[in-house]
Order: sequence, then C-alpha cells, then structure tokens
Amino acid sequence: MNRIFILTPLIVLLIICIFSLVYLLSGKNPNKPPSALLNKDVPIFESSSLYNSKDVIKTKDIKNKKTLINFFASWCSPCKIEHPLFFEIRKKYPELYLLGFNHKDPTLDAKKYLEDDGNPYHFVGVDSDGLIALEFGVFGLPETYLINEDGMIIYKYMGPLTKDILKNEIEPLL
Amino acid sequence: MKSSHFFKILHIAILSFIFFTFKIYAIENIDERVKNLTLELRCMTCQNQSIYDSDAEFSNDIKKIVKQKLQQGESERDIKKFLVERYGEYILFRPLVNYNNIFLWSFPFILLIIGVFFVLIKTKTKKA
Amino acid sequence: MSSLVGFLSLVFAIGINFYLLLSRYIFKFQNQRFNLFIRLSSLLTLLSFFSLMYAYIISDFSNYNVFQNSHSNKPLIYKISGTWGNHEGSMLLWLSILSIFSFFFSFTKNIDEGFQRLTLIIQSLLHILFGLFIVFTSNPFLVNSILVNEGLGLNPILQDPGLAVHPPILYGGYVGYSIVFSIAIAGLFQNTDDEWLYVAKKWSLISWTFLTGGIALGSYWAYYELGWGGWWFWDPVENISLMPWIAGLALVHSLMMVRGEQAIKKWIVFLSILCFSLSVFGTFLVRSGILTSVHSFAADASRGIFILLIFFIVTGFGFLIFLLKEPKKSNALNLLFINKVSALVINNILMIIATLTILLGTIYPIIIEVLYNKRISVGGPYFNATVIPIMIPGFLLMSIAPILSWQTNKIQNSKKYVLGFIILSVLVLIQSYFLDFNTWGFVGLLLGFWIILASIIAIFSSYKVKFTIKYIQIINPHIAHIGVGIAIVGITCSSVFQNELDFNLNEGDKFNVNGKTVLFKKIETTNQINFQSLRGKFLFDIEKNQLNEIEAGKNYYPVSKMITSEAGILHQWNKDIYFILGDQKNNEWFVKVLINPFVSFIWLGVIIMMYSGLIAVSRR
Repeated sequence: MNRIFILTPLIVLLIICIFSLVYLLSGKNPNKPPSALLNKDVPIFESSSLYNSKDVIKTKDIKNKKTLINFFASWCSPCKIEHPLFFEIRKKYPELYLLGFNHKDPTLDAKKYLEDDGNPYHFVGVDSDGLIALEFGVFGLPETYLINEDGMIIYKYMGPLTKDILKNEIEPLL
Repeated sequence: MKSSHFFKILHIAILSFIFFTFKIYAIENIDERVKNLTLELRCMTCQNQSIYDSDAEFSNDIKKIVKQKLQQGESERDIKKFLVERYGEYILFRPLVNYNNIFLWSFPFILLIIGVFFVLIKTKTKKA
Repeated sequence: MSSLVGFLSLVFAIGINFYLLLSRYIFKFQNQRFNLFIRLSSLLTLLSFFSLMYAYIISDFSNYNVFQNSHSNKPLIYKISGTWGNHEGSMLLWLSILSIFSFFFSFTKNIDEGFQRLTLIIQSLLHILFGLFIVFTSNPFLVNSILVNEGLGLNPILQDPGLAVHPPILYGGYVGYSIVFSIAIAGLFQNTDDEWLYVAKKWSLISWTFLTGGIALGSYWAYYELGWGGWWFWDPVENISLMPWIAGLALVHSLMMVRGEQAIKKWIVFLSILCFSLSVFGTFLVRSGILTSVHSFAADASRGIFILLIFFIVTGFGFLIFLLKEPKKSNALNLLFINKVSALVINNILMIIATLTILLGTIYPIIIEVLYNKRISVGGPYFNATVIPIMIPGFLLMSIAPILSWQTNKIQNSKKYVLGFIILSVLVLIQSYFLDFNTWGFVGLLLGFWIILASIIAIFSSYKVKFTIKYIQIINPHIAHIGVGIAIVGITCSSVFQNELDFNLNEGDKFNVNGKTVLFKKIETTNQINFQSLRGKFLFDIEKNQLNEIEAGKNYYPVSKMITSEAGILHQWNKDIYFILGDQKNNEWFVKVLINPFVSFIWLGVIIMMYSGLIAVSRR
C-alpha cells in the first residue's frame, strides 16, 4: 500500500513526460489551434460578387466540386505573400474552384489590390461586415479552407500558404 | 476551553456562507451580462486575454455579436454553443463540463476526499 | 573577445563539475580541495555571465545573441537587463544563480562534511545538466556570421524597470529549490541524523522568500505594463510560478513540524523534490513554447526535448532515490482532533491539492490536444472555481493555527477568538449590505480580517510585549499570517469591487470619476531615444489645489514595430485609479478608468510575508 503511494509520483512523471513529448514531436503550434469546423459541413453563406452585386454565390453553388476558399484583404500583408501561389494552383489544378472572400475591405481598395496583383479566383465574394468569416471561424487573415465534393471542410490552414504546405498538405487531398 | 467552540465558529461560517450563496441576484442589465460572458471568452488573436479586456478587432466584433444575441433573447448557453461551433472550445476560458473534461473537473474533489479520509484515519480519538 | 572568454569559462566550469563527479565516484579518490573547486566553478560561471553582460553593455554585435536582442540606442539599464531578456541569456542567469547557491552552501559550517559534499555533488550534477543544455541548444556566445553595426532590438514590453529585477529574483526562488532538492537527496543517502532538516529549512525559506518577491514583482509588472487593469490572469506562466510557491509554502510549514518533535521526514523529502521538479517543469513549459502565454520565449522543439529530458532525469532521479531509500523510521503523527500538528497536516494537504489542481489545469489542454486533436482552454474561471474554495478552509485554520498546542486539544483564550469572530462577521455583513452584497466579497473580507484579528489577539494574549530580537522571532508566524490577511483583503477588494467607467472624450473635456472632477488636458506626442510616445494628460480632482497629473497612453517602438500600452495609475493608499487611453474615433478619445480599491494592500501583504520569511531564516 505504502509502495503504491511512493510510486505514484514516478507514474505521474512518466505520463506527463510522454504527453509532452508527443505534443512536441507532433509539431503542433500553440498559436494555431486546430479548426473546430474540420470534417464538418461548409457553413451556410451567401455573398455577392465584388464586381457585380447581382451575381450571388451560395453554399449550394459549390456542391459537387472541390473548392478552395481563401479569406483575404488588401490591408493584410501576409495575404500579399501567398497571393502568387493561387495562380500556380489554378494553373496546376484547373478543376479546383477558387473562391476568394474579400474581408472587411472598401470595394475600391479590394479592386485595386486584385488589379495590381492579379485575380486568381474564379469568384470573389464580398464579406464587408465579416459575417461570413464569423461563420467559418476566421480570426486572423489569411485563412484557407479546402472543401470536398460533398461540401465538407477537409482542410484548414491559418496564415500565409507556402510551397511546402501546398505540396505536403494540400496536394495529397486534391 | 474545549474545542466545541471552534465547532461553533465553523458552523456559523458555513451556514452564513450557504445562506448568502443562495441570495437571489437582481436581474442584471444587458451590459453586465455582456461583460460577464465576454470575460470568460478568449480573444483568439491575443495572448491569453479575455474578449472583454481586449481592444482587438476580433474582440470588438464578438462583443457586438454577443450583445446583439442577448438582446434577441438568446441565452448565455446558446451563445457559447454558437461560438464553440465556429472557434472550438478553445474560446471558452471555463472548460465545458463534458465527457472529455470530467477528469479535470472532478480531480480536485477526488483529492479532497482522499485527503479527508487520510486525516480521519490518522486522527487519534484519545483525548490528551 | 568577451564572447570567447564567456564561452570558455562556461565550458571550464562544466568541466570542473565533471571532474568532481568522476573523481569521487569513478576514481574513488578523496579530493582535499573539494570546496575550492566548487567555488572556482561558481566564479567561472559568473565570469561567463558577466562577459555576456559586458557584450550587451558595449553593444558588441559580433555576438549573435546581442545582435538579436539588443540595440545600441537603448538606455544602459535595458542593455544590462537585456542580458536576461532572452532565452539564452536567461538560461545563463539560471545557471549562474545555481552556482551562487552552491558557492554559499559550500561555506555552511557546523554540518557533517560528507553530507555537505554529497549535497554539492548533486548540485554539480544539476550544473552539468543545465550547462550542457546551454552549450548545446542555447549558446549565448555564438558569433554573428555577418558584420553589422546595429542590433535588432529588445522586445519593448520588456523595456521596463520591472523586467530588470523580476527574473533574477524569480530565479533566486526557482533555482534556490535546487539546493533544497540536493539537501533532501543527500539527507536520504546519509540518513544518520536530522541535522539536515534544519539546513533544508533555512534554504527553503530563502528560496520561498525570493520566489514570493519574484511573483509579486511579476504581477506588479503585469499590472502596470500590460494595461489590462488586473494583476493576476491565471496565465500558464503565472500558474507555473504559483505551483512551486504553494508547494514551497507547504514545505516551510512542514519543516516547522520538526520543532514539534514529530519529524515527518518522508513528507518533507517528497515536498523538497516536488518543489524543484515543479520549477524545472515550469522552465520546460516556458522554454519549449508549448503553451501560449504573455511571457513565452521563442519556441524551439529541440530545446524543448532537451529540457524535458532534464526534467525527466532530475525528477525521476529524485523520486527513484525516494522510493529506494525512503526514511525508515518516522514516528507516527500525533494527530489530535485539533492541535498544531493536525492543523499543519490539514493545511499541507490543502496546499498540495491546490498545487496538483493547478498542475492538472495547466497541462490538461496538452493532454486533450494529444488525445483528441482539439484545443481547449483552462483559464481563470476554472481556477477560481476550484483552487480558491480549496484554500478557504486552510485560511480559516491558519488564523488560529500558530497558537494551537503541539500536544493537546486545548485552545488558549478561545472565548476571545469566538467573540472576535462574531463581532467581525456582523461588521463585515453590515458593510457588505451597504456595498452591493457579493458572496465572494463577503467571504474574502471576512477571511482576511479574521486572519488579521486572530493573529493580533494571539500576539497580545499569548506573549508579553518585549522589544527583543527573540520576541520578534516568536511572534513572526503571526506577523506572516497578518501579511496573508492583508493580502487577502487587498485581493478581494481589488477584484470583486473593481469599478469601471468608460468615456468618449475630446481634449479639454471634464468628467467625473468617483465624485471628483477630472480634466482631460491634452494629447501629447513626443520622441524619446528608442520610442515615440503618445500620452493623454489628465488632471485629477481639479477642485482641489493639489493637482495630480496622470499620463496614460501608448508607446510605439520603431525598431520592433510594436505598440505597448502605458497605463496611467494614480496610487492612493486605499485605491488605485487606473487610466487607459484607447483609440481615437470621430475625434473622440476612448478612455477607460478603473477604480481598483485597496490594491496597495496586496503589495503590503507580500512585503510583510517576505519580511517574515527573512526573520524565520534567522531563527533556528
């Protein structure tokens, strides 16, 4: 009985060390919590086009095709870094539907941004009040979501995409 | 003097504590409810700061939404559920009492029970 | 140049410790100059530390660490404190403090020589572990591969007098427990007499006092620097410092029991190991970047793994020795229904429960994320709901514990206490009805004042007032508890009865705070050496002649492109008025004013506790 009591600290130590080690080795980032929406259905949204307010996109419009949703803004400097990658993606995967949401941006700034840096998206939706971002649980730009044919979010990335992320994490899902 | 006096002290303390815990609070106004709720929510873009304390854009948006929803008559519980569905349980500073967290919440009480047993077993009943 | 000196002396110091370890246990020869070698290694480690500091002072950017964390255009004090404002430098500080403790311990007189050496050998082992950690993963003496004449700058939030003193004092606590750890392990090996318990008591009191000061400074720094109006946030890094503090408190109290004839050695050894383990674990959590926190250092997995290994070795070694060599004879506890021993045992149990609860709450998110790949937060509401109720019976008990008898069930003068308690309850109850009744406010105030009152009754009814050192020592436990009571009153008032006022103001507006008129005089922007400041100037209480000017605003640090908020605080003995300048919208400034009652009591209470800690060191 007494022995068990004295062994307890060692057992607790072992458990703590194992969990900490697994956590460290799994390369988790304390600043990027896993998304709550992973493996859930795409939230319901409705957004009009940046260029034509009558042109509206809804959740059901992206059913039956793989979609990459990207939240961006002209005032977001990391967005500018990842921007060129979307042209590469579009070239390499013509089947993939690229949907950009312009987050809390004045229309003119957004248009100018896409003029200067080019527009890789098939559709640019306006999210001027951030309500669509709220539905997606976005809290820091840029954020990117991959949605499969069944309308399920199968991948999410926070922060600017890089070639490595694209190659190792997104391409295997395409 | 005997220890029975000490008992009386404990008695008074415990009774008054229980009595006042059940005191019914006046209905709080919306702003106070927003404050109490957002104090328990994490500002996702800050470092360990509550939404209430934070001035970040994210926090101001959530404060607005919380207020709006409270005005529409939604309960604190509904609002928390709404936020958890989007941002995950990470946003709640007070962990939910659910299957995963049952150990977290029961742990102090398990220890307390073990401690009480320990003291009872070791206490000698003889008077010195 | 100084980098080379620093690196070499660091390596030499580690070498000496290796030599000491090997000479005793591999080659089996007795070293006549053992203590001299220990002191030499300490001095070398200090030399290493001061050469790094020198590199910081002269802004030697050929040192990569200086380049990364300093800037020539910075006041001297922040160049000095910048030495430990980064991961590498602060680890070197950690090692230096370890050496200082070994250094002073080697001068301890009147203890068994074999025991002293064994303790120092264990210190050597710790020195080697942390020394290798620095050399292999966190070397502050790396040479900068490019030639530069300017550094990248110190995190502005750390450019503050609070930072200059907070880490050295805090580490004094963390690292101080290393010597307690070594003493306890050496005591297990020798296990001849109980002399080591007295030595352990002295050092654990010193460490605990340092830790108390370090935590208090950290909270005070958070209070005025983060500008959130609070001083404790249950942030992981705060929890980490609180765990060894509570465990250390339990240790100090257990060591008191040695005087009461029953030495519960096993428990003392357990606590000694636990205190240092928690300190090392805290270091691991902070340095590995495994937790998000206001205070965390840059993350690096290899460092994390190395320090996790150290934690595993140190704690595993400690508890393994404990398992194998547990003290054989320990007298049965003389637990009566209510005597001093049972009061101490109950308080110890409560403190350990509190410590373990904080530990679980701190690591639970890690466990959940590993198991379910989702992240949860365990924050203030959890700890408030668990730790505080656990501590309440302890606080009730501590008010009378010092006057309980070791042997019997009797309480002297118990009538006075009962009467005092009842009067106090009524008074607190009446005042709480005038000030919006609040359960926590009521409980906290009652507890705080009860502890103060009971301690005062005890002092005057149990001992004759004499102005001698002996008298000061005898009443010291009561004084310590009065400090706790004062701190509880301060904590309760400042958290429960905090009042917040929001304003949108133009320059020149007058507004009302607490019945006093405040003038929002103007906004001023100035350029300082290393930052630009934006200040709102407020004149408090303009009806009176004595004007108090308060400045609240923000600093912008161009080197690191960061904005820090600078709260303006008007300190009064019974309240702090805390001004936060927000953003400007539609030509109006958002100003938040917090009225924090009795904050000064917290710091006063802490100072009293530290004073008592030091007095207790002097008493055998």
